[in-house]
Amino acid sequence: MTYDVWDGDDEAEAGRLVPLYILVNGRTSPRNTNLDLATQVIALPVDATRLEPEYRDIVRRCNDWMSIAEIGAYLGRPLTITKVMVDVLLEQGFLAVGSPAQEQIVDRRLLEMVLAGLQRL
Amino acid sequence: MHVDRKSVKVVVAGGFGTGKTTLVGSVSEIDPLTTEEVLTQASVGVDDVTGIEDKTSTTVALDFGRITITPEVVLYLFGTPGQDRFWFIWDELAQGAVGAIVLIDTRRLDASFAAVDYFERRGMPFVAAVNRFFGECLYSEDEIRAALKLDPAVPLLWCDARDRASSKQALIELVRHAMARLPVAT
Repeated sequence: MTYDVWDGDDEAEAGRLVPLYILVNGRTSPRNTNLDLATQVIALPVDATRLEPEYRDIVRRCNDWMSIAEIGAYLGRPLTITKVMVDVLLEQGFLAVGSPAQEQIVDRRLLEMVLAGLQRL
Repeated sequence: MHVDRKSVKVVVAGGFGTGKTTLVGSVSEIDPLTTEEVLTQASVGVDDVTGIEDKTSTTVALDFGRITITPEVVLYLFGTPGQDRFWFIWDELAQGAVGAIVLIDTRRLDASFAAVDYFERRGMPFVAAVNRFFGECLYSEDEIRAALKLDPAVPLLWCDARDRASSKQALIELVRHAMARLPVAT
């Protein structure tokens, strides 16, 4: 399948990704390298109506804390693209971010909290 | 803006069909969600793409669930992709994770070799959980340990991935194991 022009089939092979990469200006990784698929974000009380619809969808989804993985799952977008879009929204002040993923979990208090939480389940 | 909202990750690994999504679903407070990562040409060269050379992109699905621990702390459970070759995704899942539960199907022990090896090499805490869902286990604990070349320090437990209490217990064992490996508090 070698066409010089777009054949209108977004679902074919990587074709589906092209519009998404345009949306993120071709960026394939977030500038904020602390962003992890489990990092949670929340919408800030800022008017998001001037945003492109794809970005607005993310802000709307985040009226409560939500991880990047959840946003990707709910909006049906690949993780890498979701991460870049979230990064853009963070830079522009539409979202706030929770604690970054740690390189190594060595926080005993946090683990104790997790253990107690699991035992309460 | 930065807020004290913490995410904690646990990886649920094991070979294809060992019950990873079942375990995630049995303890998650939401129905397991699926998110996808796309492997593009950019990843070729770092990943083993043997057999998929003709494709310009490959979609890898990740199933995950969540457990709210406290109003500030949420635990995310990520199942590894069924295909072992997508190591770059394993790396992302493993980074900063509390540890992993490696599910074992005793009929196909070899399906979980890659996972055991991965976490051992990474020095990440993990527990091996024999999923009893597949019926009576034909092997003793010693035989399974020997077959998987498990380090004696790695807990081996029996579970039923369909059962919430059993999956919860596997998580508790993992967190205890991770805590035991921390340097002694001063």
